[in-house]
Amino acid sequence: MAVYVSWPSDATPANESRGVGAEKSDTLGPMAPSPAIFRRPAPTRRLRCGPLAVALGLAASILVPTPGRASEPLTFLGGRVRLGGEVSGTIAPDDKGFFNYSDYEISSLRLLRVDLAAEIRLGRRAAVLGELRSDNLSAPRVYAAYLRVRPWLDRELDLQVGLVPPVFGAWPRRRYGYDAWLPSLPLAYQYLTTLRHDAVPASAEQLVAQRGRGWLVSHPVGDPYAAAGLPLVSGERWDAGLQVRVGREPVSVAVALTQGSPSYPTVRDDNGGKQLSARLAWVPGPQLTVGLSGATGRFLSREVTDVLPAGSGVDFPQDALGADVEFARGRWILRGEAVWSRFRLPSLDETRLDRPLDAVGLYGELRCKLRPGLHIAGRVERLDFERIDSRLGGQTWDAPVTRLEVGGGYALRRQLLLKASWQHNWRDGGRVRENDLVTAQVLLWF
Amino acid sequence: MSRPRASPRPRTPPVLVCLLAALALVPGERGRAEEGADARGTIRGRVEVRRATPEDGARPSVAALGMPAPRGTADRRTSVVYLESAPRGAFEVPPPGRAALDQRDETFVPHVLAVTVGTTVSFPNSDRVYHNVFSLSKTKRFDLGRYPRGASRSVRFDQPGVVRVFCEIHSHMSAFVLVFAHRYFATTDAAGRYRIDGVPPGRYTLAVWNEGEVRETRPVVVSEEGGVVELSFVVE
Repeated sequence: MAVYVSWPSDATPANESRGVGAEKSDTLGPMAPSPAIFRRPAPTRRLRCGPLAVALGLAASILVPTPGRASEPLTFLGGRVRLGGEVSGTIAPDDKGFFNYSDYEISSLRLLRVDLAAEIRLGRRAAVLGELRSDNLSAPRVYAAYLRVRPWLDRELDLQVGLVPPVFGAWPRRRYGYDAWLPSLPLAYQYLTTLRHDAVPASAEQLVAQRGRGWLVSHPVGDPYAAAGLPLVSGERWDAGLQVRVGREPVSVAVALTQGSPSYPTVRDDNGGKQLSARLAWVPGPQLTVGLSGATGRFLSREVTDVLPAGSGVDFPQDALGADVEFARGRWILRGEAVWSRFRLPSLDETRLDRPLDAVGLYGELRCKLRPGLHIAGRVERLDFERIDSRLGGQTWDAPVTRLEVGGGYALRRQLLLKASWQHNWRDGGRVRENDLVTAQVLLWF
Repeated sequence: MSRPRASPRPRTPPVLVCLLAALALVPGERGRAEEGADARGTIRGRVEVRRATPEDGARPSVAALGMPAPRGTADRRTSVVYLESAPRGAFEVPPPGRAALDQRDETFVPHVLAVTVGTTVSFPNSDRVYHNVFSLSKTKRFDLGRYPRGASRSVRFDQPGVVRVFCEIHSHMSAFVLVFAHRYFATTDAAGRYRIDGVPPGRYTLAVWNEGEVRETRPVVVSEEGGVVELSFVVE
């Protein structure tokens, strides 16, 4: 069976932009990825207009010692319009192993993030909510924009329509800086695997040849440009669609029908399929929260499915299951989360990828407050991938990663926090297999 | 008695309140009063808060999967009226006491608590959810950790000043504890009324505090015969 491959005619070698073309995978050889290591032109634009300046101005105003306002959000029109947000700056040495990148250009440890959220209350039954986010002074992007409606005030039933918060898992709904004890993001929600939504490998060998280089990966079928792979579940983007929540405590259920997939949320449908996701939350008492999540949705875009041989099908879903728990008592909080994900790829003659590709992400983190404003925290993580057979031998389809991070934070003021951490990563593949990173973060929220 | 000229002083930081409270330990010229004077006066009046106060202190709940749970509403119109300088001897035996700042419907109740130095304030949790009371104020830094409904933790306030109290879990929750080195203060009631009894004769400065700031100060005189002095304020 022929595999349809499209090659760019005017692409630019990636090594001109970052030298990545000079890097070698540990399994490069006859079955190495095609030489089309090209990178799509960076979409980021420098910010020209005022939103960033406005957000920075609002943040700076928080630092002005006006204690009467220190705990209040910025409100207008009698409280109907509210603004809040975060400004955070995170610095770390160059992460040569790309362990912390959530995009080809964005590392969560080398990031200036400005986040501005707004809520417009339309009476007691409805509100419009939105959030703008700018990373490293890029043009702000819409992170959230949706309408929230409670049809009956006396019933625990809420509808949300638009670019809505994800129902899967616990982490993606946490605020980037305020709710995080450490500067980094969990691997399951951030680490870039070698799978993409717009390109697939033609064989198992081509897939395993790129183990450990999901930050810039190319596959011959579909979009030939090299680009970043997908995380198991995206913690950095929200999906567009409809969401319903029923109940509150001790049991609530949230269900969403949205455009993308757990790993690739999107505003515009790119494959004719929808994602169905749900989360059951159980709060037996104030100290314990348990959540169970599930999601399924097509993750391959038409860019891939349109070039597949006839009869290959178009329905290539990603299925995900999640479990999360949080236990708190006194000065201690323990959080843990498990994410299992299964990707189905086209079963082409050469591939021997006729079985779905499974992956599991686990993390557990602990925080302890030592004194007012001072906490220490630690997180242990593991990201594992299923073994597959190929002519290169049996091995996992991507390189497993283990991470240990310890650190702490200190609140100079209630809304001004400093965090620092040391992180160690191990990876069973890729050019850089191990590294240590010391990170510092300053966070201002309002 | 003619109404003294108002001297509005908006946006005075609470740290100044702290300093003022501390300075009050050394009575000023106008604050001196005869010790042992039998006649005691009363200062009373009303504080009308006209400025708009937000319905609640919640930030945009963008990440929530629905409408937030119903919450109580903090009474942000509560003011505290106090003497910036107090009679000599007012500080010799600060009455140690106990007070409570409840956590109910994700709101601190009351929103403003005025106590004397040495008072122990308990923070019971009356909600079904956890709360984590803390303060990073220089006057008193504390963190009570997370505790459930029915449990309570206490803090002794041993320095005068303003203490901002928050909940780590619910960022919209906030309260003020004003710690005075003397007993000549009063918190306004629901109608905005206040009353300070037992003030020895003398000349004082009366201050009105609301939502973190001293809004206005005025001179006040309690005559040798004692009696009642009426002073009302408007906070714009």
